[in-house]
Amino acid sequence: MESLLDQSSLFLQQLVNGITLGGVYALIAVGYTMVYGVIQLINFAHGEIYMLGAFLAYTMVTVLGIPFFAAFILTILICACFGIILDFVAYRPLRNAPRLAALITAIGMSIFLQNLALMIWGSQIKSYPRDMFPAIFLKPALSIGEVSMTWMQVFMLSITVLFMVILHLIIHKTKIGTAMRAVSQDKTTSALMGIGVNRVISFTFAIGSAMGGMAGVLVGLYYNAIFPTMGYIAGIKAFAAAVLGGIGSVPGAMLGGGVLGIAEVMGAGYISSEYRDGISYAVMIAVILFKPSGLIGRQIGEKV
Amino acid sequence: MNTILKIIRLSKSFGGLSALREITLEAKQGQIVGIIGPNGAGKTTLFNCLTSLYYSTAGQIEFQERPIVPEVAETKRRLIKRCAILFFVLGLIWVPLFWSSFVPHTFFKVEVVLLGIFILSIRLLLVRGLVRFQIWAWGLMFVFLISDLWFAIWWLTHLLSSGPMIGTGIPLCYFAVPWGIIAGPFSIYLILQLVLRKVRQLYGFRLGPDAICRLGMARTFQNIRLFFNLSVLDNVKIGFHVQIRSGVLGILLKTRSQRDEEELTEKEALKYLRFVGLDGRAFDLAGALAYGEQRRLEIARALASKPKILLLDEPAAGMNAQESSELIRLILKIREKGITVLIIEHDMKVIMNLADNIYVLDYGVLIADGKPDEIRTNPKVIEAYLGGGTAHAET
Amino acid sequence: MRWQLYKKDPRFIFLSLIFLAVLLPWLPLGASSNYILRILTTAVLYMILALGLNIVPGFTGLLDLGYVGFYGIGAYTSGLLSIHYDLSLWVILPLAALNGALWGTLLGAPTLRLTGDYFAIVTFGFSELVVLLLRNELWLTRGPMGLPGIPPPSIFGHPLTHDWEFFYLILLLLMIVLLVVTRLQDSRLGRAWFAIREDEIAAQCCGVNLIRYKVTAFAISASIGAMGGAFYAKWFKFIHPDMFKFWESILILCLIVFGGMGSIAGTMLGALILIPLSEVLRAVLPQGLFNARYLIYGLVLVLMMRWRPEGLVPFERAQAKKAKLARERLEI
Repeated sequence: MESLLDQSSLFLQQLVNGITLGGVYALIAVGYTMVYGVIQLINFAHGEIYMLGAFLAYTMVTVLGIPFFAAFILTILICACFGIILDFVAYRPLRNAPRLAALITAIGMSIFLQNLALMIWGSQIKSYPRDMFPAIFLKPALSIGEVSMTWMQVFMLSITVLFMVILHLIIHKTKIGTAMRAVSQDKTTSALMGIGVNRVISFTFAIGSAMGGMAGVLVGLYYNAIFPTMGYIAGIKAFAAAVLGGIGSVPGAMLGGGVLGIAEVMGAGYISSEYRDGISYAVMIAVILFKPSGLIGRQIGEKV
Repeated sequence: MNTILKIIRLSKSFGGLSALREITLEAKQGQIVGIIGPNGAGKTTLFNCLTSLYYSTAGQIEFQERPIVPEVAETKRRLIKRCAILFFVLGLIWVPLFWSSFVPHTFFKVEVVLLGIFILSIRLLLVRGLVRFQIWAWGLMFVFLISDLWFAIWWLTHLLSSGPMIGTGIPLCYFAVPWGIIAGPFSIYLILQLVLRKVRQLYGFRLGPDAICRLGMARTFQNIRLFFNLSVLDNVKIGFHVQIRSGVLGILLKTRSQRDEEELTEKEALKYLRFVGLDGRAFDLAGALAYGEQRRLEIARALASKPKILLLDEPAAGMNAQESSELIRLILKIREKGITVLIIEHDMKVIMNLADNIYVLDYGVLIADGKPDEIRTNPKVIEAYLGGGTAHAET
Repeated sequence: MRWQLYKKDPRFIFLSLIFLAVLLPWLPLGASSNYILRILTTAVLYMILALGLNIVPGFTGLLDLGYVGFYGIGAYTSGLLSIHYDLSLWVILPLAALNGALWGTLLGAPTLRLTGDYFAIVTFGFSELVVLLLRNELWLTRGPMGLPGIPPPSIFGHPLTHDWEFFYLILLLLMIVLLVVTRLQDSRLGRAWFAIREDEIAAQCCGVNLIRYKVTAFAISASIGAMGGAFYAKWFKFIHPDMFKFWESILILCLIVFGGMGSIAGTMLGALILIPLSEVLRAVLPQGLFNARYLIYGLVLVLMMRWRPEGLVPFERAQAKKAKLARERLEI
């Protein structure tokens, strides 16, 4: 009986951790899914924006001495600008090029940014100073028996949910959201309807990157370890989440992130911790093979 | 003249939208059959269904009196779907049995779980293939069913002689018995079907576009689809793909037969280029050709697969009067070779001059067919082209 | 007449280059001779790898990000076979190639139905899984400890030790691979691949079975990669899971993008320029920064796609040249 209780509390704790992690994946996945929805490009460099987010906040807090919350918001803004620049420099010139070219550019950008970060910040694992965020973050917000949820986790989850809701409202209730949906259907026609396609795409990149940067800071806080290659694995996992939920759909990214986060934590806990990353890859490959439209996506056929 | 192509009550719908509704069409050996209709009437969709780029929803296509898309009644389709899902569920039962009997007490070992997921995934993939009538799925399913059968017998004999093999707490025999009862007869039934070789007609395997081409149906496209970065000659050589056989080993060893084949291909390709009047440009890149030349190159490429029937999708689009009269001559020359031609065309001068028989589509429905003169005066056709609500109001 | 033909034939240029390469170890380069030889051996190895990878994105137009997985499989096949069974190089190379082809087929058969982007991601996932397996299956690969002490290859009982011997060996491999790749390119198979690259739907309607030809391409590419890996293990005598990380795939991709996707000459030129450059950078850059070489690769990818997506030796030009040769051949 005793061990059963232990087992279930362990399970619940894993569930809580999984959901928190899933929220972060969802935040990153949104960037992939939105960009893919609008210009059908897997923006490999998105993971790097997430990494830059983590490092920017770190630099602001440690070197410039900006208070944490201000740094958090500044990071989000800078990352948004960065997304726009990325689009402008790398992807816009290739808008009408074959998709392979854009994909290769995206990979190139990803490698470039990652190694740039490596040159600037070095390859050592860095951690946020303990006193930079309110101490309450590490205290449990609620605990039932063995299971506890820290304020940090509450903070992360609530921010995730908050921004998802905001994003959903932007896409479905505002003019620019309508324009985004129009561009994702057909760029040429949208342009003929008087939509500034490039502006809409920039906006998409800005929002996606802002979310990515935010996720970077949150993960930096949560795991307390940031390093230049963090974007590469997290990026792929977030992409897996986007695919799992159905690429192009924001609620899908949320769902996919949640499922993947839980699957990963559970898999690491119960199956094999060495294959922690492998679980995400396996899930991703399985989804792509058997249900490429994802859990709540729609099938897109090729026109002959 | 015998009938070479017969389309019987062919329908195609995209989601809820029906693009073709019960089209019936016939082409006789050596005929030129025209298909006309306003934009969006479903002409290209018809071609796509014929060449298997789209799967038709219902109806039958017979090519040289052989059904290439046999009719599958909706009830039979549903039955197959159910069987396929049942088959997947059998897998769901089989896999835990497999786990528990081979590796007791290590239920969550990575390899075993991965193996289980793998088997289940393949079964899931199979279900999709089965429902879509893809031949590989049916082939693979037999492998699975035989292994299922074997496993059932093995498990049941163990069960009868020494009880369930593992004591994990779940009485596994409850799963095994219904499983054995269902899977066994089902497998035997399907194997019998295969032995009787009737399964082909019964379940209607789909042929892919490449198999259709191999049978002797070649086509051109409305918006030109050439291999633009390859030379004109290579474009035609690719058309020869189904005519030659060399495989990887032959190519690597450069066997005699492979070399002969290559030489022959080159000569024949030049011959086809001469036939369409492009021999002067054989060594240019296809992308460098003029529009009219590209259209002719597409025809040459299609002819290279030695088709019995050629589908031309708006071959005269964007051509001037002189080019289109050249095209008419070319198509007549193709007919002289004994190739049946199906042609979609908007240019009435071309179609009325060429076609022996014309079919008129409008909104996916066949509204008229007959000789060019009959079509010219058919009020329904005139109405479809010129619009006007009077006829609709009457009906 | 004949001389004229030779001058235009790219094969002639290759042959003279290889002739030069054969002479190379005997040039009086002094103390740095061995260093130069090692760099060139690396360059030729990467030429082989790039030629192998080129078959997939270059010939069939699919982005393969998991190529290094096959490289790793080949290297470990070779390493394990020579440590445990002490097989000869001439047995190991084909076995490694076969193993690569096997995995290529297993991965390719289900994934090649996917569209380009998804295919890229799945192959990426595959290569990461390979690294994870190499790292964690200690009983087989010794995991992060690596696989040291791989015996050197021996030819007629004479073990290879000198740098020039390895250089000749890799040149021989390059010739074989080159022969394979050029023959494939100018055959029914190669044409089917190009057709798939140019337009899948038109290719299908010309009777090309997409899946079969894509899987063939993938398997051949994988086996060449595995063969490269097999040589690498024998040459370096030590392999480690981290050697087969995603970066290597990007590096090889970079070579073919730089040289010209789909063109054999371009691919080789790319390797010949970028690999020595990278080795020089490795020597020049300070210790902590030597991975920053990859920054340059990223930049190369981006800039090439922006300004010269067809690479140094464009595929179309190679095709046009081939057509010109064909014209001369047929008109003589």
